[in-house]
Amino acid sequence: MINLVSRADELLESKAVQVVIGYEAGSTGKARPAFITDPSKTGSLIFDDRCVQNLAVYLTKKEVRYFGKAAIVATLPIMRSIMMLISEQQVFAENIVVLGVSAEGKYIDIAGIEVMQQYIATCDLGNPAKDQETLAMLNKMSTQQKFDFWQKELSKCIKCYACRQACPMCYCTRCAVECNQPQWIPVQSNLHGNTDWHILRAMHLAGRCISCGECGRACPVNIPCHLLTMHMADQVHNYFNVYAGTTDKMSSVMSTFEPNDKESFIQ
Amino acid sequence: MSEFEPKVVAFVCNWCTYAGADLTGTSRIRYASNVKIIRFPCTGRIDFMLLLKSFANGADGIIVSGCHPNDCHYTSGNFHAKRRWIMFKELMDFMGIDMNRITFSWVSAAEGARWAEVVNTTVARIRELGPYVSYKQMVNTAVEEEVTND
Amino acid sequence: MARIGVFVCHCGENISATVDCHKVAETVGKLKHVAFSTDYKYMCSDPGQTLIKEAIKEHNLTGIVVSACSPRMHEPTFRKAAAEAGLNPFLCEMANLREHCSWVHEKNDMTTDKAIDLVRTLVEKVKINSALQPIKVPVTKTALVIGGGIAGIQSALDIANTGHKVILVERSPSIGGHMSQLSETFPTLDCSQCILTPRMVEVAQHPNITLYTYAEVEGLDGFIGNFTVKIRKKSKSLDEKICTGCGLCTTKCPQKKIPNEFEEGLGFRPAIYVPFPQAVPNKPVIDREHCTYYIKGKCKVCEVVCPTKAIRFDQPDEVIEVQIGAIVIATGFDIKRADFFPEYGFGKYKDVIDGLQFERLASASGPTSGAILRPSDGQVPKNIVFVACAGSRDPAKGIAYCSKICCMYTAKHAMLYKHKVHEGKASIFYMDIRSAGKNYEEFVRRAIEEDYVNYIRGRVSTIYERDGKLIVKGVDTLLGGQPVEIVADMVVLATAGVANHGAEELAQRLHVSYDSHKFFAEAHPKLKPVETNTAGIFLAGACQNPKDIPDSVSQASGAAVKVAALFSQNELTREPLVAFVNRTAPPLYSTCVGCFLCQSVCPYQAIEREDFKTRDGKIIKTVAKINEGLCQGCGTCVALCRSKSIDLHGYTNNQMYTEVMALLNEY
Repeated sequence: MINLVSRADELLESKAVQVVIGYEAGSTGKARPAFITDPSKTGSLIFDDRCVQNLAVYLTKKEVRYFGKAAIVATLPIMRSIMMLISEQQVFAENIVVLGVSAEGKYIDIAGIEVMQQYIATCDLGNPAKDQETLAMLNKMSTQQKFDFWQKELSKCIKCYACRQACPMCYCTRCAVECNQPQWIPVQSNLHGNTDWHILRAMHLAGRCISCGECGRACPVNIPCHLLTMHMADQVHNYFNVYAGTTDKMSSVMSTFEPNDKESFIQ
Repeated sequence: MSEFEPKVVAFVCNWCTYAGADLTGTSRIRYASNVKIIRFPCTGRIDFMLLLKSFANGADGIIVSGCHPNDCHYTSGNFHAKRRWIMFKELMDFMGIDMNRITFSWVSAAEGARWAEVVNTTVARIRELGPYVSYKQMVNTAVEEEVTND
Repeated sequence: MARIGVFVCHCGENISATVDCHKVAETVGKLKHVAFSTDYKYMCSDPGQTLIKEAIKEHNLTGIVVSACSPRMHEPTFRKAAAEAGLNPFLCEMANLREHCSWVHEKNDMTTDKAIDLVRTLVEKVKINSALQPIKVPVTKTALVIGGGIAGIQSALDIANTGHKVILVERSPSIGGHMSQLSETFPTLDCSQCILTPRMVEVAQHPNITLYTYAEVEGLDGFIGNFTVKIRKKSKSLDEKICTGCGLCTTKCPQKKIPNEFEEGLGFRPAIYVPFPQAVPNKPVIDREHCTYYIKGKCKVCEVVCPTKAIRFDQPDEVIEVQIGAIVIATGFDIKRADFFPEYGFGKYKDVIDGLQFERLASASGPTSGAILRPSDGQVPKNIVFVACAGSRDPAKGIAYCSKICCMYTAKHAMLYKHKVHEGKASIFYMDIRSAGKNYEEFVRRAIEEDYVNYIRGRVSTIYERDGKLIVKGVDTLLGGQPVEIVADMVVLATAGVANHGAEELAQRLHVSYDSHKFFAEAHPKLKPVETNTAGIFLAGACQNPKDIPDSVSQASGAAVKVAALFSQNELTREPLVAFVNRTAPPLYSTCVGCFLCQSVCPYQAIEREDFKTRDGKIIKTVAKINEGLCQGCGTCVALCRSKSIDLHGYTNNQMYTEVMALLNEY
């Protein structure tokens, strides 16, 4: 990753950016996010199979914004997250530099939003293959089987909201679960509250989920909650022929409509 | 035990279905009294969370109804609602929550007879499906858990 | 502490025949916070309303639920009664026990139980209702009329005559529109110019009307009573204040071969021109696209000959911003030209013309001074064929609608021809004769019976040229589909009336809706044919759909009355059932994160941006803000907002949630 390091170095040295968001090796052998502000420290940046976390989540954090302009190491899902954040006016294109990494782990020069858009257009934007398999398996189940599957999974939820914290699109200052007038979601981590929470989360990410799978990875009790939002992404593409995060001027699927949207269940 | 009487909540828009149901009344067309209507300004105002709340609080069935496409009093509220219903239904199907419990329909202010038909077919269907326990059970287990935790 | 009053109405026996009203009042009366509960025969009667008012005062009620008929019927009545007793009208709710209960169910316990549930639900809701104050918005008493055809002229004059200021914007160099092109008008055959020009002059001289010709509306902001409009006054390359309109420049301009739009291409005009002799204003403009000076950089003949030195070659366009309170759109229509019809030669046969071209031929001020002559060789056509429904009522051509005016003007054309060419033969191919209108049918009968116009019921399949004649092949459906072939000297197509060019762009600029044919859409096809979906913007004339002159004028006057009614108030009062974005203490300011997805769901462009700034002007946060003047209260944004930062007065999240909970749970 010579290019990545030298480019990060160059950006910090020239003060084009004040922080580089990337990955570095953690103490337990896992990759962890790195926030590098000192050009002499860019050598610790790594990129390998361990680097899967969606770093775009940090772009909206005020602690990171505090540094100033940021360069961010970005694989496809991160690039798509950035597109979404720009189109939802949470991040401004002029405040970030994208250090692209291809699916093969090679550095790609992303000289601007248009280049990123062109790159994204060349990629497969569907859900990851292994998740597709699980989704297909679940879709084949009967209603009762699906219900039992999810009830079993959701009964494990401890309402830690790691799924929300890990998601770049869950940037609201106050989430609907924290709204107590009315109390939309029961506070306790019980089956009812858990189910309502996961439905709410999936609905709020409909048309906005870019299939990074970070929520599922973040879950400490291994609920495959990413399948819920990925299913929504699938359906958004199925019904409206849209993949989220392909341009910086995306009009959200759930805030637009076509008069001839097809459905077969409304009487 | 007496025959099961389903509880059905209807979420309707003020301008079409609510007015349509008024017309059912003025036309004296009889329908099942199991349904109770909640008035919204527009189908675009209906929050999907309210449907879940209804199930959690004992509704056996739900009707959601508004103006036919292109007839929305606010020009496009029903089109937005339609997209939301599509996604909501897909998610519910995926999570195994029975969508036969919800009737989505367009009933205009002129369709008094149709409103009675929508209500009657929904009530008959819910009667056949029986009481909706899955969602309520979740709540009940939750309450029991709390009690034992104390 | 809430003190709720419940008033159960028997509605004579309409409710009490199936619902045990007394039991309802009694059961609900036991609910927590219900301070007063009663039933009465007719709540809407005077004694009924007095009962409510007195109970409000006597029991110091903080909210009431009138359990009677549909709120769509009597909500205003009871809210007014509440207000008269000193209770905020929005603290009154209605439970619909008649239309939604007694009239549709059998008499039994379940029906009474349902009635109790309905009342109980609204009791819970009204407990958390807020007192709302009506929204007042000021009104700028100046109207904008877009389009200076007969509809625009009529609207402008009518509004101006009520004493209000009007700005009339016309895109071409003169007002008058299509009506100024017409020769005679049906069903009276009076000369179009003769009845129109006095109106045009009146517009120019009216002290309340400001006329901007050669100008277009570029943008619109704001809402009813408070619009800001941007108008681009295209450069006329002329100082109008100095120009006397002598017309010397137009005669000396060396560029003389520009197809004349007013003459529908049947004549020519110079580059500096007045569209027609009676134009208002009667001062020339330079058509920069065709002017030799603008193309080649030299000429300036007009500048040399102008006695008052009024020519200004470097005059720029001027964009002005005006405050207005209401808008009348009267941008008119256009017609399909002959080139739209491959079967009739794509417009390449010179003697296949459209209706407007025929008008110019028949007009005394037209290129032939009123003589009907073939455009190809100037000969008088001995045999003329008119084709009605050219394009109209033809779904295959994408125009399924009837253009409405063609039946009548085709009859008129045939008559005018016969009056001028007595020995000539006129035939009309038609689908149906649609002559509904005062004296219209009589007019058509005259064409047939007195002027011997040959009406053939059938369509024309093809027209082609042979030996300088036009072969018109059609069918006579009244003779069992027998083929008809006419060797004609000239063919006039009554082509479909279509939306004017630029209508779609204008609709988008004004945020009004339009139909699939790009005609402007009315708010309601029957009861609001003059209004658009945007409050304060009205329609007049053929911009809505093809219309004849009397219809356009009637609608124009209708639109003017709508504007005058609006201007009769100093302030507009609106129901406060609008959305609002929450506000919290700094540094959060609002739970809104400013994703602005709500902006695209709003049908009314009512969602604006609000910046919170530090003392030195740095933006800390940008959040959504509802423009109360524009919001109509649909609540589509409320259900979309993920962080629940937007809410809707009268239908708040808390109220709707409470209703659901109350309906399903017994407290």
